[in-house]
Order: sequence, then C-alpha cells, then structure tokens
Amino acid sequence: MQASYKNIAWTMLKPISIFSGLVLWHALATHVVNDATLLVSPLVVIAKAYEMLFVTADLYPHLYASSWIFLQGMVLATVVGVPIGFLMALSPAVRDYVNPWMTALYTTPRIAFAPVILLWLGIDLAAKVIIVFLGCVFPILINSFYGMRVVSREFVEVGRSFRLSRGSLFMKILLPASVPFILAGLRLAVGRGLTGVAIAEWFGATEGLGYLIFFAGQTLNLPILFVGVAVFAILGILGFQLLRVIEDLASPWRKELLVK
Amino acid sequence: MLSKELRRGLVSIFAGLALWEILTRLLLENELLIPPPSSVLRTLWELGATGQLNKHLLATLFEFVCGFSTACVVGILFGYFMGRYKWFDDVMDPWIATLYSIPVVAFVPFIIIWFGIGMVSKVIVVFKITAVAIMLNTAAGIKNIDPTWLELSKSLRLNPRQNTFKIRLPAALPYIVTGMRLGVGRAMLGVIVAELMAANAGLGYLLRDASETWDSPKLFVTVLLLAGMGMGSFTLIKKAEQKLAPWRETAEW
Repeated sequence: MQASYKNIAWTMLKPISIFSGLVLWHALATHVVNDATLLVSPLVVIAKAYEMLFVTADLYPHLYASSWIFLQGMVLATVVGVPIGFLMALSPAVRDYVNPWMTALYTTPRIAFAPVILLWLGIDLAAKVIIVFLGCVFPILINSFYGMRVVSREFVEVGRSFRLSRGSLFMKILLPASVPFILAGLRLAVGRGLTGVAIAEWFGATEGLGYLIFFAGQTLNLPILFVGVAVFAILGILGFQLLRVIEDLASPWRKELLVK
Repeated sequence: MLSKELRRGLVSIFAGLALWEILTRLLLENELLIPPPSSVLRTLWELGATGQLNKHLLATLFEFVCGFSTACVVGILFGYFMGRYKWFDDVMDPWIATLYSIPVVAFVPFIIIWFGIGMVSKVIVVFKITAVAIMLNTAAGIKNIDPTWLELSKSLRLNPRQNTFKIRLPAALPYIVTGMRLGVGRAMLGVIVAELMAANAGLGYLLRDASETWDSPKLFVTVLLLAGMGMGSFTLIKKAEQKLAPWRETAEW
C-alpha cells in the first residue's frame, strides 16, 4: 500500500513540475514584470493561439507556406543525399574526393550560406528550398553512407551464394538493409530542416512561421512570438515522432530483435 | 609520404579552387555573383590589415568561449543530478525537452528582447544551446553507468565524494564530450543568428554588413572564416573525444 502511494507521487512529479512552472510563469508575468513587451502570461499565449487557430484563422497561411518549403527541401535532400551517400560508401575514390568538401559544408554554420544563396537566387521559393535542403541533406547523406557501409558481410555472402547479379544484390540486400539508417537520418534532418525554414523565411519573406516570429520579435508582439515558437516546437516533436513510427513500420525486424 | 586518402582530399580541394578561379575569370565580367578565390584572399588580407577582422573575430570568439565554458559547468552539474536523482530528472525533464526541441533560430528574438543587443545576449544564446545538450548527455551517461563499476566502488568502500569524482563522472565523460560536440555546432549557429539579428560586432554582423552592401568578396571572406571556425572547433572536439574515450567509435563527420 505504502509503495503504491509512493509510486503515484513519483508519476505525478512531472505534471506537477509542468503545472507549477506555468503558475510561476503566470505570476512572474502578471505581478513581477507586468510589461506586455517583456513577458506575457501563458493564459494570454493560449488565448492568442486559440484566436489564431479558430477565430481569425490567420495562422494557417503561415503554416501552409512553411510546410510547403519544408517538404520540398526534405524531398530534395533525400533525393540528392541518399544516392551520394551510397556512392561514397560503395566507392572509396568518390569518398576521398568528396569528403573534404562535405566536411567543410557540414561544419560551417548553415546560416553563413543563406546570404550567398539569396545573392544567387533572389528571395523566391527556390532560395528558401535550397536553404532548407542544405540543412537536411547532411544527416541524410551521412546516415545513408553508414547504412550502406555497415551492411553485415553475412547478408552479402548469402546474396553471393545465391548468385545474385550486382543489380539485384543492391536492390534485394544492400538497399533494404540500409533503410533503417536512412530513416534515422531523416529523423535527425527534421530539426535541422525546421531551423532552415526559420532562417530562410527570415531573409525576405512575406509569410511563413519564420516570418511570423521575426515580425513579432521586431514589433515586440510577445503573444504572437510565443505562439510561433510553440508551433515550431510542436512541429519538431511531431515530425520526430512520426518518423520514429515509420521507422518501426519499415524495419519491423529491429523491433522484434529488441523484444527478444 | 601522405596517405592515399589525404592525397586525394588535397587534390580535390586544389582542383576545385583552380576550377572556381578559372571559371569565374573566364565567364563572369563582374565579381558580384561569385568572386574568384584570389579576390576573396585579397579581401581577407585587407580586412586583416585594417584590424576589422580582429575586432569581429575576437567578439564572436569571446561570446562563444564565455557561453560555452559556463554551459559546461552548469550542464555537467545539472546533468549529474538529473542522472543521479529520479525526482530531479522528472522535475527538469519537461522543461529541458521543450527547450531542446525549439529551433535555435526561434528563441533568439526572445533573448534579444530580454537581454538587449550587446554581448550578453549572445553569451546567453550560446550558453542555453550548449548547456541543454551537455545536460541531456551527462544525465544519459550517469544513468547508463556499468553496474559493475558501482559494485567496485562499494567493495572499495569509496566515500560519496570519491564515488562521484573517481567512478561516476569519469564513466560519463564520453557522453559529456558528445554533448559538447553536439552543442558546438548548434551554438555556433546560434551566436551567428543573434549577431545577424542585432549587434555591432562579430562575424554575424560582418555577414549582414557584407550582404546588405552587396560586397560579395567580403561576404565570401566571412563564409570562409565561419567555415574555418566550424571545422576548427569540430576537429578539436573530435580529437578530445578520441582521446577521452578511445574505445568508442566516433563519428567521421
């Protein structure tokens, strides 16, 4: 009996922490700071979110514009990143020649490229998609590379002993074995892609979540700023979880291994 | 004798630069879109000679070092307690996870509203990003400690202090360094974003200045410097990771 009470107390700790944090935030905003340009109560933020979602519905165009850029960037990154990663894994020469450029591109803070891309492409959709693409492509590429390289030798030997042609060895063994890695790369790319969306829309956009955040920041409109940041956080978490589910579906043998 | 890998890498870099130089010289009349490497180097030299380079580079480095070092101390401390005590982990986790999942760029406006456009806001941006990454990784390291080591500590009757400093923290060290590696990249992005948004010195400021005045050699110099900073810090951390935890295979990039 004692133990179960204790258990309940333990599991309640997280919600209590969230709740008391929100109360503290509210108290801080209404009694200590009391300045709508510095901090607003979570209640105001929720009211604003409700208004933007259901009353004026002016969140949707931004959401739509951002998702469109994000999706295009992700698809482009997958289409480009996966084959390059495979090529690098299958041919050491390609890897050695591409590697220095990749390291340079990968380790440079991505925002440095944004002005250069805008210089080349202007502020239209293409530039934004490319900025998102640059953010997402490396996790995908690197994971495809590792996935292809760590395919177990046994799998390949089984394929060889069945005298698979090179093509079907690739299609039947190498590709399926690296799918989980590619999906893990996509999962990592979600966060970086969202950051890319925010960066892209910051430089010369007229709509989108990034635009919303920067506009709100510059006009000190804190409720909208909070809503924008929250939407970003929620999208990040949703994308991450969604890809985790897809990962489990696409490679059920991994889960079985875990269960055993 | 250089290894084959390194030789190919060098060949690739020099061939790329030469191609860039030749193409830009032959095809483009003005240097607005893509300046050739030679004029980028010349601009780099000029910026260095006038002392501008020093000022901006030092500003960014200073912000980065201040934020990073405080984040290491706080991150390891909090991470340690989160790993040791479940109640603390439960209390902290919702907030840390939220902070972690907000894109770097999205919270910079807040920091600037609250802490102004000076250096303090940039230090805080770096601090927040790195501290969260180190905290989460330290907590994971402390939680995943090999139980045989704890048994060893018990059978040697180590006091709590020794237990912490000789067993638990060293065991978590590789995780802590991984947290630092993850933090560095994001923090660099954060500091540049913050400087771009509002600052009067730093590489981000230089980037903004160059792009607003359409000074593309200067823009490319800044990109080059940022690439250097990124690669430098990344290599440093990777070396540290290999030294501290040689048994773990570290990421190639």
